[in-house]
Amino acid sequence: MAESWGMVIDLDKCTGCQACVVACQSENNIPINDEGLFNQRRAIEWIRIERYWEGEFPDVKARFIPILCQHCADAPCEPVCPVFATYHNNEGLNVQVYNRCIGTRFCANGCPYHVRFFNFWEPEWPDSLKNQLNPDVTVRSRGIMEKCTFCVQRIRRTGRKAAQAGIDKSDAELERGLNPACVNACPTQTLEFGDMIDVLTAVKEGTRLPDEPKSKAGAKVKKELEEDGGRGYRLREQLGTNPSVVYLRKVDEHRKEVITHG
Amino acid sequence: MASGHAEHPGNPALVTAEDVTKDLLGKHEGTSNNFWRVASVFGILLILGIIGFVMRLSDGVSDTAVWGYYAAMFAFILTTAQSAPMVAIAPRIAKAHWRRPISRVAELWTVVGLFNLLLFIPMLWILPPLSDGRRSLWFYFDGGDVPSYSPHIWSTLAILGLVVIGVALLWMSALPDFAMVRDHAPDGWKKRWATRLARGWIGSSAQWNMQKHRLGILGAFYFMMLIFVHFLISVDFLITLVPGWVDSLFPITHAANGLQAGVATVLLTIWALYKFGGYKDYIAFDQIWALGKLLFALSLLWFWFWFSSFNIFWYGGKPEEQAIIELLMSGPYRWAFFGVFFFNFLFPMWTMMWNPLRRSTWGPPIIAASVLIGTFLDRIRLYVSAYSIDGIGNPAINKHVVVEIPETIYPSLADIFIMLGALGGMVFIFLMATRLIPIVNIWEQRELKLYEIHKTFHRTVVKVLGKPD
Amino acid sequence: MQDHIQLDQKQINDDLLAGVLGMPKWWLPAVLFLTLVVFAGLGSFGYMMNKGLGVTGLNRPVMWGFFIVNFVFWIGISHAGIMISAILRLTQAEWRRPVTRAAEVMTVFSLMAALHTPLFHVGRPWREMWVFPYDFARGVWPNVRSPFVWDPSAVGTYLIASSLFVFIALIPDLAVIRDRAVNPLVKKIYGTMCLGWRGTPRQWKLQAVAGILLSALVLPVFVSVHSIVSWDFAVLIGVEGWHSTIFAPYFIIGAIHSGVSAVAMLMALSVWLWGLDKYLRPDHFDAIGRLLIVVATTWFFFFFLEWVFALYTLEGVEISLRELQVFQWPYGMLFLIFLATAFFIPVPMWMFKSVRRSAFWMFFTTLLVNVGMWLERFLIIIPGLVRRQPFTFDWGTYHPSIIEILIVAETFAFVALGMLLFSKFFPLIPIFDIKEGMVVRDEIKIGRRIVPATIRE
Repeated sequence: MAESWGMVIDLDKCTGCQACVVACQSENNIPINDEGLFNQRRAIEWIRIERYWEGEFPDVKARFIPILCQHCADAPCEPVCPVFATYHNNEGLNVQVYNRCIGTRFCANGCPYHVRFFNFWEPEWPDSLKNQLNPDVTVRSRGIMEKCTFCVQRIRRTGRKAAQAGIDKSDAELERGLNPACVNACPTQTLEFGDMIDVLTAVKEGTRLPDEPKSKAGAKVKKELEEDGGRGYRLREQLGTNPSVVYLRKVDEHRKEVITHG
Repeated sequence: MASGHAEHPGNPALVTAEDVTKDLLGKHEGTSNNFWRVASVFGILLILGIIGFVMRLSDGVSDTAVWGYYAAMFAFILTTAQSAPMVAIAPRIAKAHWRRPISRVAELWTVVGLFNLLLFIPMLWILPPLSDGRRSLWFYFDGGDVPSYSPHIWSTLAILGLVVIGVALLWMSALPDFAMVRDHAPDGWKKRWATRLARGWIGSSAQWNMQKHRLGILGAFYFMMLIFVHFLISVDFLITLVPGWVDSLFPITHAANGLQAGVATVLLTIWALYKFGGYKDYIAFDQIWALGKLLFALSLLWFWFWFSSFNIFWYGGKPEEQAIIELLMSGPYRWAFFGVFFFNFLFPMWTMMWNPLRRSTWGPPIIAASVLIGTFLDRIRLYVSAYSIDGIGNPAINKHVVVEIPETIYPSLADIFIMLGALGGMVFIFLMATRLIPIVNIWEQRELKLYEIHKTFHRTVVKVLGKPD
Repeated sequence: MQDHIQLDQKQINDDLLAGVLGMPKWWLPAVLFLTLVVFAGLGSFGYMMNKGLGVTGLNRPVMWGFFIVNFVFWIGISHAGIMISAILRLTQAEWRRPVTRAAEVMTVFSLMAALHTPLFHVGRPWREMWVFPYDFARGVWPNVRSPFVWDPSAVGTYLIASSLFVFIALIPDLAVIRDRAVNPLVKKIYGTMCLGWRGTPRQWKLQAVAGILLSALVLPVFVSVHSIVSWDFAVLIGVEGWHSTIFAPYFIIGAIHSGVSAVAMLMALSVWLWGLDKYLRPDHFDAIGRLLIVVATTWFFFFFLEWVFALYTLEGVEISLRELQVFQWPYGMLFLIFLATAFFIPVPMWMFKSVRRSAFWMFFTTLLVNVGMWLERFLIIIPGLVRRQPFTFDWGTYHPSIIEILIVAETFAFVALGMLLFSKFFPLIPIFDIKEGMVVRDEIKIGRRIVPATIRE
């Protein structure tokens, strides 16, 4: 049985430090976003931290939520691509095939999470940074879409290592290699990554969650979904997209009611 | 039949306008025993329906689910009889001559609107109130001060308006015929009524101008009112009952189905007149052919509307959209939906494409019957399933989404009686109305004699049709 | 048709072929100017292809802008040709005769213009052919679930069908030009094009049958094209303002509204530019005006329903989107202009017979309609994307760049240029249809009145 990769994001731990954003930019050869690009609203950030202010001064709180491609099982971006540049693979990843993409931007309009990015310009790096480009990741030319891949190059590399060592990809030894860059970079372990096929399938079909989930991330999701007042939820679940990313609500004792993003 | 003009030049006994008048009045006067036999059958059905209604009433109106079939019958009459007059109105505005012998048939069906108005009254109690955040066309906000009866008021006014305009249209169109009955018919109740209803019609130019003008205006208003009533009924009595159903095209699908079924109703009626009523000299191949083509076009149109809605729901795939598809198409009312799809679209389309069938006097009536069966199933599918969802305090509804699809509700004995009674009442009232008002429009036939002449053109004889401005 | 003028056949030939056999003074400068605009647009496209789509005003989340608005607009205009020709031919409306050719030709050219912008707007236009199912070397079939695969096939079918439609109706006229041309080379060319037309009864019969058959077959295509264009938008659940079931019929009726208006504009232009007022009588303007009242009112009902159901849901996103469309600068102002020009100014004006019968006022009102309908597409597409999405603060607006404006101008120039070139080589009013109309027209005397009549078979 193939994997279905998923992620758990514990908002209670997120400090909004943006280490994940930086890690992602350098791992995935994302061009430098300067101020001009931000003002044009054409910046590319595969993972971004959205900050919300809650409450009135002086009793004001900052809230952070990292947003990345949700790798939806029923992704609205997939059926609309005329050339199969984006499709769902058998590992539960919503993949983007750069050299098939013709740049209709249909998928970007279809995405309810605003995580698809278009290369309006040819990407450029200063000479000093050219040697830091990741050789495992394609540099995307202008005119095509790109988005978070759950660092598919790391998953592939781990797969090769696991095959050599004769162990399973999800083995604890290989965890650092398997994890996407953002997960490894997170100082508070807000993000957790793993094969959640058993959990996600059960959630999608509305059946009972497995007794012993395959991965740590899965176990965490199971705990938070089954407990009374569990904190698990998925973004914009009412759209029926079945995301593979599960968020855990912030714990806040001073808060009267529980509000979910959604 | 190879061409549309095989009857040409028609019955030699009906050359002048006077011949036509005499012939039609004679047909109007006589009532055969067969007529009374048929009428009594439908009368008995009507009585059965009244019994069914009383049985249903004994259950009370608090449980809306059991009233689904009743609501479906109300909607069925709206979709067939009350939509039929469009067959008179639209071609009259377009000045098409083929409408002349059948426009009265289409208009006579408005009388059934009076019957439907009676059927509408209990609906006011059946329709759930606007409390508990039920979505409504009238924008009920939670905690707002919108009176909870507002859909009831507007729907009542609209349907009342439709019936009043319909009857006025019929009367205006029948004025010259009443005068003819008054002047030519032997003494009797028909003559007395005709005298009263003709309102001193003497056929002066002023009267004719007034009548033409008012017919145009009433026709346009009837059309607008019909679309409006379809809009209100389909929103207030259907869409708002099903949580999560947001289908902006649905009122138009409902109305398109109404036009389709209205044409089918008229087509079937004129076929009966052609076959059994002795009107072969007036209603002929031309009329059946024209209505057949219209029915074909409207069937395709209905399918396109339905498909446009379905495509969005299916492609969108949100949980609420999937629930709607399951409730209305693939779930408990699957049998009805497949029936509708077959009778309203597949069968008409694949048969009407076939020339020998479309250009015959027997083909289009079969299709019309199929469309009426389809429409009947469609009303059941839509209304019974919508009424079976109890919106108030129901745990199966979560934030405007149907979570649990209700079971199929099959008709009970009372429901069967109600269905038979509604159909019986519809036909019975129509039959009774034909005794008072001539079923073929006499003045429009006389007018045709002025506008249609035959001329020799080179080596053939051609028909020349006048098109007045 | 009381103000009908009976003309003999020679007169008809002379009048309608004047533009083909001679050349009006303004023709050459106009063609040169339009060619210039077309080249400016194509040059902009080249620049855009070279630099990347950054030269446009597009951004996140407004991924589709002027190009797609313009695409929908031209597809809409292209619906008029079939509407006028096919429907009116099947219903045997007499007033269609002088109008059909111009409408059909406009269909062909506006379809070509419509194809420009989506082809230009993709990120890598040089790989466009991948949406067609030919590329066996790549081993990847196009994704048939995508409306962008339905689009090219529907538009392509429509383009082929409407070109065929124009050609079938052109054959008898080509033969007339062949017979009247002096230059032997020209004679030869038209002779080849008219496929040996001699005007035998059999040829006439086949031509009529082909016309009716094409009319009936092209109607489903006509409906499918704009439905599919609407599904480019309506299938998306991510854009709340687009995910609406009414989109397909709403787009179709809007297309008919703008398309029939464009035909009325063309009629007025034919009267002014080629002096064809003997053929395009006030009665024709009157008929198209009446048709427009019906079309515009139906369109407005659909528009109304769309709004009713948007507000009926009482959902925050829908309401804030409508608020954006109606109250926020600049959409609020555009919305007012759109409502006024697409419905509230023209329709009351068409109620007056004197407006309907005047070429100038019909031109003016239908020009307004087309301005309004262009804005309608803009107001569906742009605010739909500008909406405030959750989980992002990429909220902003969209300003078209000069490149986009030039390319949009190019499509307008392209259609005008196409029509002018066509009118140089072929008659814009079907000669044979006019002659047929003169033959079948008759009169009936009823008492003291004379009623116009038509011979039927």
